Order: sequence, then structure tokens, then C-alpha cells
Amino acid sequence: MKQHRKKRLLNILLISSLSGAGVLMVLYALNTNLDYFFTPSEIISKELPKNKRVKVGGMVLEGSVERDSSNIKFVITDYQESISVQYAGIVPDLFKEGSGVVALGYIDKNGLKAEKILAKHDENYMPPALKD
Amino acid sequence: MLVEISHYLSILSTAVFLLTFTLVIILDSASRHSEILIRRSYSHGFVLFLISFLIYVYLAITDNFSVIYISQHSNSLLPTFYKVASIWSAHEGSMFLWILFLSLWGFAFNLSKDSETRIKNISIGIISLIIVGFQLFLLITSNPFETNLPYPPLNGADINPVLQDPGLVIHPPFLYLGYVGFVIPFSYGLAFLINSNESVNWEKKTKSWSVFAWVCLTIGICLGSWWAYYELGWGGYWFWDPVENVALMPWLAATAFVHSLSVASKSNTLRIWTLLLSIIVFSLSLFGAFIVRSGIIDSIHSFANDPQRGMYLLAFIGAILFLSLSLFSAKINLLTAQNELKSQSKESFISLNNIFFGVLIFSTMMGITYPLIYELAYNQKISVGAPFYNAIYAPITILASIILVISIESRWGRGFKEAKKYNQLYVSILISGLATLALRYFKSDISLIILASFFVGILIISRYLILISINLRTNKYTNIQSAIAHMGLGLLILSISANSIFSSERVFNMKPNETKDYMGVSLTFDELQLINNSNHDSIRAAFKVTDINGRISMLYPEKRKYFARGQITSETAIKITPKRDIYITLGDQLENGSWVVNLQLNYFIRYIWFSAILMAISGLIIVGKSSRARS
Amino acid sequence: MKHLLRLLIFIIPICIFSFFYAYLSKDNFYPGADYNNFNIPSFELNNLYEEKPLTNNDLEGNYIINVWASWCITCRIEHRFLSNLSNKGIRLIGLNYKDDRSDATEWLEKYGNPYELIIHDFQGSLALDMGVTGAPETFLISNGEVLVHYRGEVNEMIWEDVFISMIREKGIEL
Repeated sequence: MKQHRKKRLLNILLISSLSGAGVLMVLYALNTNLDYFFTPSEIISKELPKNKRVKVGGMVLEGSVERDSSNIKFVITDYQESISVQYAGIVPDLFKEGSGVVALGYIDKNGLKAEKILAKHDENYMPPALKD
Repeated sequence: MLVEISHYLSILSTAVFLLTFTLVIILDSASRHSEILIRRSYSHGFVLFLISFLIYVYLAITDNFSVIYISQHSNSLLPTFYKVASIWSAHEGSMFLWILFLSLWGFAFNLSKDSETRIKNISIGIISLIIVGFQLFLLITSNPFETNLPYPPLNGADINPVLQDPGLVIHPPFLYLGYVGFVIPFSYGLAFLINSNESVNWEKKTKSWSVFAWVCLTIGICLGSWWAYYELGWGGYWFWDPVENVALMPWLAATAFVHSLSVASKSNTLRIWTLLLSIIVFSLSLFGAFIVRSGIIDSIHSFANDPQRGMYLLAFIGAILFLSLSLFSAKINLLTAQNELKSQSKESFISLNNIFFGVLIFSTMMGITYPLIYELAYNQKISVGAPFYNAIYAPITILASIILVISIESRWGRGFKEAKKYNQLYVSILISGLATLALRYFKSDISLIILASFFVGILIISRYLILISINLRTNKYTNIQSAIAHMGLGLLILSISANSIFSSERVFNMKPNETKDYMGVSLTFDELQLINNSNHDSIRAAFKVTDINGRISMLYPEKRKYFARGQITSETAIKITPKRDIYITLGDQLENGSWVVNLQLNYFIRYIWFSAILMAISGLIIVGKSSRARS
Repeated sequence: MKHLLRLLIFIIPICIFSFFYAYLSKDNFYPGADYNNFNIPSFELNNLYEEKPLTNNDLEGNYIINVWASWCITCRIEHRFLSNLSNKGIRLIGLNYKDDRSDATEWLEKYGNPYELIIHDFQGSLALDMGVTGAPETFLISNGEVLVHYRGEVNEMIWEDVFISMIREKGIEL
């Protein structure tokens, strides 16, 4: 009987230590792999986490998109502050001047160097039709 | 007129399901008479709901834009196929389909024969109650039958072009079928507790239902990944989008559940855990519905926002979960007399891997909720992306795979064979070790974790191949479904790691008649064409692709403009070869007239989906075997 | 021990559910709502019904600006609710967005005109300055200052939770 209880205790210890280690690992990974989300005004007013990937969301300022070879430059604005963005790659189809965008990347003195550009789409909410 | 009939039938069906539930409570007996009455009542509820749905499909096909939902999501220019699919392209209609599938599973279960009449009756009662809850949700908060009479619009707003695709038409139905299929083991497990007879082997009785639901979920996730790959134009197969994650969590839990079912039905251990898992799996499926439909999470897949819906779902799902957990904790003494878990037995290894499944589910749950917690606490928006998930999934999967490989040798209810024959294991370790070294030799810049996943991927496959070939020669029995499913897992790990090692991409600026070379692929921009279709115009570029072996093929990526919304989409063009996909997306036109072209070389990506198909096949074999055994 | 384990299985779900309850019952849960205050940018655009330019001076007091277009199906659905508001005496200013004048007037003739005044923004220039990205969008304005900007369809519930609560908070009258 004693043998039996000892084994049971051992099992419980094994299970709880393994799950505990798993939980700790998850929490650690969470804290080291976060992307912070800012609007252009928050970038100006808030202190930014250093060397962290950030997401910047806002509107693509009309008339700000410049393309040269495979790079694209544009300005994200929230109609109060703006930040310029550089990106090498293909922008999504829904990317348009005057429409919503989220850029993911690192901030340096020239603005945001984006690694990924996402454009927002919503089922119920329609962008204006392009007139022929 | 028809829409009112459809609406009315849905309401009637809700009433009939409520009646079924009441009948189960009143006629709580195992008599033949009550069984027939309950079965008929349920069938009537289902048939009413089915007719209501079919009328709705007819309304969509015939462009009845007096129905608000149809006018918002369909269009007369759409091909009929997509008119039907538009029903599940947004919240109300997809909820309609979701509930239909829920009642369909119940209907199939209702028709099946079961010697445990009382348990079956109670399960039907539980299923009916769940259906009623969701039907009320549909009718009260997300009514798809609302009309915009007396002035219906002349044409509809169109289904989102990104969603106009065969992949979209079939992937949500499979996902929903998978999600709601777990209602059967869930309600049967609860009914088993209510019935309080621990000698009934409920695990065995619900196994093929659970496995079949698992197969649907597997196929649904696989189709979703495949659709995102070719339609979104990013060239990836998994984005750790919250909506993907809420499908992954029930899949992981269901995989653990299906394994535990085998253990519990064979060796009378882990019974408590298995019952708890049945509750967890179904709750996670419902949680997925809550996340997608409450507007809590901003995602490219999520539906329109409405906090009232979120509150209703939260309250209802909470009620289901707390009632079932209370029942579980009140009645669980029933199952305490179970066998001791033998160390080094097959079931002990499965229980160990259950913990790993638990960690993966927990991490995914945290990935979804942590940004919300953070926002609530610090008023700062954050997101959790692929680096987090990779940091958890890769090491855990490797550990779990190693335990899997060790457990192949083990037996049910006993430890290892007396004379341990590790030779087969050593051979497979040798093979995979050599393969990994060779890989390291040819490509030196690979991270340790990817090398390790590459290693375990080959390890699993080679271990099973050796096992099968030896068993074939010595005429020993092989558990073929287990071998196929786990080789699928091995292939999945192997192809994901190989994909991340070899794949690369390059963005070019190209004018017509220009040629660019990249990694042995020569790409020539032939011409541009304008094409008119029934509901969109498209610009089609023709590229001549010369592969490394001199084989020439033509690829036609497109940019489409849809009439109804003026929305622009890109269609990727993909050349599939056994080793890699050549994947081209057409970007924007620059001012100097050249086009931005993205060329991706995606290695071994087909094998990722093929491995999911292997898993699904093994599930179907299990379902086939057990239904043959029953008849 | 056993009792503890039994309690334990409830704790995680309770945490998750109460968290989501808290999250859903936050006041500013509506993702379409934006509460940044700014003044209406200066503009000079035509009235939809007459070739007469409208400017900031034509808009006074407290009112609602609704961005709509005849090509927008959701606006068609929102229209019924807006008509109710207008019948209750709420001042609605229409901002007709990237739309042909003839299409717009035809639409109003067919479904009814809930607006006190309609600005015809064919280029979408005022809309752009106000941060409009599509239609429908709705603004609550008090003496030239934007208090609420809502993107998407306004219905009974959103009106109550987003607009009325702001109107009460600021103690203004429409």
C-alpha cells in the first residue's frame, strides 16, 4: 500500500512539474515576443520600447505614396501626427491612399522600416466604388 | 413570402427541439415507447430546420434581395455556386449553417442504434437543448431572415472577392462540421454521468463519432491553410491568425481526446481525464465560435462586431460549461475505481503526451487572450505573432515526437517486452542522424531547433517504415491507422522544417519582354492581357518560367477588379512540382510602366497538406473499421 | 486533496469567462467608435440640391453628420433607422460621398430624405479631411467640434450606447 501511495505522489509531482514548466515557458515566450501597437500620435507622445517590433496603424496619407524600383514609401497618419514608412515588397490589394493600413516593423530615425503591410477589410463596411 | 415561411419554420423547429428536451425530462425511462417518441420528435425538429435552410438557399440562388442578408452578401452577377456560398460568407448565414450541422450530427446520432436507451435519450435531450440555445441566438441577435421591404435594392452588394473562391466554398462547412461534431461525445459523456452506471463503455461507443468529427476538423483546417496560401498571396500556409488558432485549439484537444478514448476504452485507466477532455474539446469548439463572432478580435477573418452577440454567446457557453463541469465534479466518484497506470505502458506515454497537448493549447489560448488582458490592464495594444508560437510549438512538438517514437515499442497495460529490442529504434536514429548531418553539410546556416525538427520528422517516418516492413515480413499485425496518422505527423514536421530551410522569395520590377533569373529559375514577362468576366475584369500577365532542369511552363498571375464593390484582388499563379512551388504574384504598376512582380520558391509545401490528408485517411480507416465491427 | 482538484477545474474557466465579461462590458468596446475630438475642417462644397456652395458657417449648433452614398447597400439598411431619428427631431446633415448627383437625388426620392441639409462631396475631400474611409460613417458634432466618429452602420443599439451616452455625458441637446 505504501508503495502504491509513493508512486501516486511521484506521478502527481511529475505531472505538476511538467505542466508548471510548460506554463513558465509560455509566459517567458510571451514576454519576449510581443509586438506593440501604436498610432502615429502615440509614437510621438509615448516612450517606445527599444529594439522591439511595433505595429503602426492609421490611414495612408493621400498623395504620399512613392514607389521606386521595388521599394514603396508612404506616410501613415491619424490626422494628428504622421510617420513615414518604407517597405520592400508587394503591398496588399486593399492598400490604397486614404484607406486603413497596419505596418509591422522597426522604428529608426527615418521612420518605420516595415517588414509586413496589412490592409484592413471588413465584410459589412464598404470602401467606395471606383468610378469608371 | 418564402422568406417568412423559412423564418417561421426555423421558429417552429426551435419549439420542436424544446419539446424534445422536455420529453426527455418527462419520460426519463429506458422504455422502447419513450425512445421512439423522443427520436421522432428530434427528427421532426431537424427536418423543419433543414427545409428552412433549403428555402434560404433557394432565396439566395434566385437573387431575392428583399432579404437584407442576401442583399448584403450576394449579387445577381455571381455564378450560382457562389450565390450558395455567400450564405456562409458572413455572420448570420454562417451561424445558420453552423446550427444546421449541429442538428445534423444529432440527427445521425438519433438514427443510430444503441443498446443503452436511457443514455441515448438523455444525450438527445442535451443536444436538443444546445440546439435551442443557438437557434435562439440566431433568431434574437443575428436574424438572417430580416427583410428590407418595401424597397428592396435592385442588386446586392456582392460577396467579398477575396472570398469568391472554391476553397472558401468548402472550407468553412468542413470546419463547422468538425467543430460541432464533438457535441456527440460531449453529450454522451454527460449522459453517461447522469445515468450513473460506470460499467458502460461510453468511450468505445463514441469513438467513431469523435474520430469522424476530428477528421472533418483536420480537413477543414487543411483546406483553410491551402486557401490562404493561394488566395492571400503571401505564400505562407499558416499565419497564427486568432481565427486559425481557435480552430487549432479544439483540434489539439480533440487529438488528445481521441488518443485518451483508446486508452480508456482498452485499459480502464484515464477515464476521468477522458471525460473531462470531452467537455474541454466541445467548450473549445464553442469558444472558437465566441471569439470569431463577438468582434473581440480584429482579424481578417472575423465577422462584424456586435457586443450583444458576444454577451449572449458568452452567457450561453458559460452556462453549458459550468453545468457540465458541475455534473462532472458531482458524479466523478463513479469512476474512481479504475486501474492503476502502469509505468512504461502505452497509456503512460499517451498520458505524458497529453500534458504536452495541454501546454500547446494553453499557449495558444494565451496568445489569443494575452493581448486583450494587456490592453485592459495597460491601455496599450499589443499583438502576439509567429515568433511566440514558434518558440513554444517547435520544442514541445519535438519532445512529444520523441516520446511517440519511444512508445512505439510499448504495449497496452504492461511495460516493455522483457528482452528489449532496440535495434529498430537504433537504425531509425542512425538514418535520421545521417540525413540531418548531410543537410547540415550542404546548408550550414540552419538553426538548431529546425535541425532538431528535421531530425524527429525523419525519425518518426523511418521508425514506422521499418516497423511496417518487418511486420509484413514476419506476418505480424500492424496497427495501420496509427502508423499512417503518425507518419503524417512525421511528414508534417519534416515538410514544415524543410519548407522553412529552403524557401525564398524575391521582388522584381519587370516590363513586358524582360527576363530575370533567380535561384535557377528564369522568368520572362511575355505579355499583358485584359479579360472580361461575368462579374469582374482582369489584367492577366503571362510569364514564361524556365525551371532549373530546362522545363518550360507558362504562369498567369492576375489582378482583378470586381464590378459590384470596385474591389481589387490579386490571383496568384503557381507552378507545382514535386519539390517546390514556383509562386508568382502580380503587384502594382509603377510610373515608368514596369510591374512589381513577386517570385517565391516554396519548397515541400504540398507535403504539409498531404500529411493532413494522411491523418484524415487514418481517421476514416478507424471509423470504417469500427462501423464494420458493429455490424 | 480531491476537493481541491474539483475546485481547480472551475478556476480556469471562471477566470477566462470573467475576463471576457469584463472585456465585453467595457464602455468603449465598439471598435467602430472613435472618440478623438477635432474641429470640422474648413470646406466649401456644393449643396446636393442647388448649385450653392456650403461652408462651415452653414452648420451651427449640435447635429449629426452622416456619410452616405447611393452605391452603398449598408447605407440603404441604415436609412430606415436614420428616418426614425429624423422623425424624432434629431438634426441630420448628410455628407454625400463620391456619388453622382443624379444617383443620389434619385435614391432620396425613392427612399425618402431624412437630412436637413446635404453636402455633395463628389471628390471626397471633406470626407478625407475628417478621416472617412468608406460609407456609412456617422459623426456627432457640437458647435463645430467632432465628439464621436463612428465607422459602419448605426442602429438602435449603437445609437444608444455610443451616441446617446456621449450626448448625456456632455449634457448637450440635439
